[in-house]
Amino acid sequence: MGDAILVEDVHFSYEGVPALRGVSLTIRTGEVLAIMGENGAGKTTLVKHFVGLLKPERGRVLVFGTDTRDASVAQLARRVGLVFQNPDHQLFAESVEGEVLFTLKNMGYPPDKARAICDSILKLFELDRYKDRSPYSLSIGERKRLAIAAVVSYNPDVLVLDEPTAGQDFFNKSKISKLIFKLRMQGKGVVIVTHDVEFASQVADRVVLMAEGRVIREGGAKDVLTDAEALRHARLVLPQIPATAAILEAEGVSLPSKPLLPGTLYLELLELLNHR
Amino acid sequence: MALVDLRHVRFRYTGSDSYALNDVSLSAERGEFILLVGPSGCGKSTLLRVLNGLVPHFYEGEFEGEAKVAGLDVRSTPTHVLARHVGVVFQDPENQLFLSSVEREIAFGLENLGLPRSEVKRRVREVLKEFNLESIKEKAPYELSGGQQQKVAIASVMALEPEILALDEPTANLDPLSALEVLTLVNRLVKEKGVLAFVVEHRLEIALRFTTRMIVMLKGCVAADGGPREVLLKAGKVVGYPPVMLVHVLLKRKGLVGDGVPLTCEELAEEVIAKWAMRYS
Amino acid sequence: MSKVLDIFRFRRKRTLLHELDPRAKFAMLMALSAASLALSDGVSLAVLLVVEVVLLAVAKALREWGRSLTGLSTLLILIFVLNYLTLPADRLFTATAMALRFLCLTTAFSIFFLTTTADELAAALEVSGVPREYSMMFTMSLRFVPSLARDMQTVVDALRSRGLELEKGGLRERLRNYTYLLVPLIVFELKRSLMVAEALEARGFGAVKKVEPYIELTFKAKDYVVVITSALALLAVAWVLLSGTYSAFIAWLRGIFPRI
Repeated sequence: MGDAILVEDVHFSYEGVPALRGVSLTIRTGEVLAIMGENGAGKTTLVKHFVGLLKPERGRVLVFGTDTRDASVAQLARRVGLVFQNPDHQLFAESVEGEVLFTLKNMGYPPDKARAICDSILKLFELDRYKDRSPYSLSIGERKRLAIAAVVSYNPDVLVLDEPTAGQDFFNKSKISKLIFKLRMQGKGVVIVTHDVEFASQVADRVVLMAEGRVIREGGAKDVLTDAEALRHARLVLPQIPATAAILEAEGVSLPSKPLLPGTLYLELLELLNHR
Repeated sequence: MALVDLRHVRFRYTGSDSYALNDVSLSAERGEFILLVGPSGCGKSTLLRVLNGLVPHFYEGEFEGEAKVAGLDVRSTPTHVLARHVGVVFQDPENQLFLSSVEREIAFGLENLGLPRSEVKRRVREVLKEFNLESIKEKAPYELSGGQQQKVAIASVMALEPEILALDEPTANLDPLSALEVLTLVNRLVKEKGVLAFVVEHRLEIALRFTTRMIVMLKGCVAADGGPREVLLKAGKVVGYPPVMLVHVLLKRKGLVGDGVPLTCEELAEEVIAKWAMRYS
Repeated sequence: MSKVLDIFRFRRKRTLLHELDPRAKFAMLMALSAASLALSDGVSLAVLLVVEVVLLAVAKALREWGRSLTGLSTLLILIFVLNYLTLPADRLFTATAMALRFLCLTTAFSIFFLTTTADELAAALEVSGVPREYSMMFTMSLRFVPSLARDMQTVVDALRSRGLELEKGGLRERLRNYTYLLVPLIVFELKRSLMVAEALEARGFGAVKKVEPYIELTFKAKDYVVVITSALALLAVAWVLLSGTYSAFIAWLRGIFPRI
């Protein structure tokens, strides 16, 4: 685990309107970071800086030691894979396998190696049976998987997912969380931009809360996602488990810790209700 | 007669091999908040579009069975007539707000009906007041937040005073607080005006607190239909259990809680407090 | 790219021009455009441009216009250079005139679009007898211009993030790279139009043939003034063209202009 992306006091405005007002944070490999906040807080603007699509007006962004102002987007993208929110913005090929091959070609993989990677990636994402079909003939969940597959295929060190669970059904959400765990186990860094507090509570190691272009709270998922005040400031709500714990607390029922996950709450309640 | 009455409805989109709706029967009345869930491709969006006739008038295909909405036969009634009884709000606010001010947007549907200008102006004033939109009435849709946009979309369809409100993943692009505000608004319309609401949603944690009835669809069929608690127990594997329900199910296995299935944090907390108090009394 | 589209985007302000009936503004637009096309010398066109800039100042829209100039400048230079290089004689004279003409035309249109909302435009069209479907088509296209610009930017960002270097390579390679933009953009916009059509249907569009527009357009005194002035200006332009005075003026001007 090491530092992959360093964001140092970044300021950025769109046509005179400030979008980022002095944001600093660190993305590490082997860790899942959730960047959260309401729409318009600056989350997507921030992650665009990770591949150099946007360059800071003040401050700087270092990607594995390289200042984003000194490298092209293609060079940065080799190490940081960015998957946008809407899959329809990022499907360029005529077939499902063509999509993966297109990406691998751009990233400099020779054709025979690309083919091998393509086959295994499609199998991993359960898209191999569609490999000759047009990407647009797939369902929305499958298109999202394809967009992620294409980016994962070239093995970037950091994967950034913008709102991966928006509009996704339960099956797809589970698949996405399984993928995220797998990538973390492989030592990759994963950044998810989301306002889905439940999903973040399941997958994130660390959470950064943003509001109005600033970072207002940062820390371990367990600390941040149980902090009602900070979440409210970021226009988010407590996930169900900490919300339940908060109600119990208010009614005089104390729990030993601030639980985030159902399992933890269950064990603590087991203790509580069995205790003689 | 029921407000919505579907009997053995089957529908296949032109050029498709499979049936999007495969023998669906259901009836619904005023004052229900129906949560419609299911994996992508299960037919819930198609079902919603039967209500105002987009299926089969806009989306062509083979339609079988009977579908009556507010006493009108869907197959033979054009969408613009059904639009007076069914207001549909879609997922993406950008593609359903066409005009350059909130006021104008609300007037649009009324204008389309051919109502005289004075009548349209009167109703617009009423709607702006009722939905608390007077302060933003001159703003353009792109100047509003996502939550405000969806509220405007709801107000715009409610201006036609439909008995039924159908929403297709209205909160998909909204942050949790805005999502809660939008669904609270829908619930208010159900409770105060007796509107029949069909809400397609994936985010159960927010919608369950308002749900009076839950319908789960799978591959074009209705897999479960009833009160949210029983339906979740039955179909939770498919649609996902809300976290509080997971905790309850685990505690129940140890015999520590009773049968009532909690849908919200408040309900789980209540359950726990009751048991805890018992032990200490 | 989006900078150029800026001149067609409405900005809400309280100025004389914003409050005029769109039909009066249309008359003004016709007069300004006719003048731009009829005049063919740099001096008169410069005077016309000054008139338009004054109108822009009244509409408090100078900043938007200035911003778009940076985008238009390439076209302006192109027009100037092409004319300069391809004409047999009086190259400087005609090239400046053509460039100024282009500027006058686009500025005339931007005065109109910067001060008129899409709905006002639709109401004006409908009141003038255009069927609702057509006026709706027109206003929808305008309304979705910023969305289209945004989507294009997103697709370009996505392409670049997949390692495609859009800035590198020879002309042919760059053109080929840009074609990758087309498929997702077209599919996306087609899907969007489907969703918009659905929503229109759901709001009862097409229920009635003739609709009373919500926006009431009434001609006030100032609108009559504008229309009459525009009509007079058009007459003046016609007279200037048909009578010999303009050609005489142009001949004299060419005489004193450097012959390059």
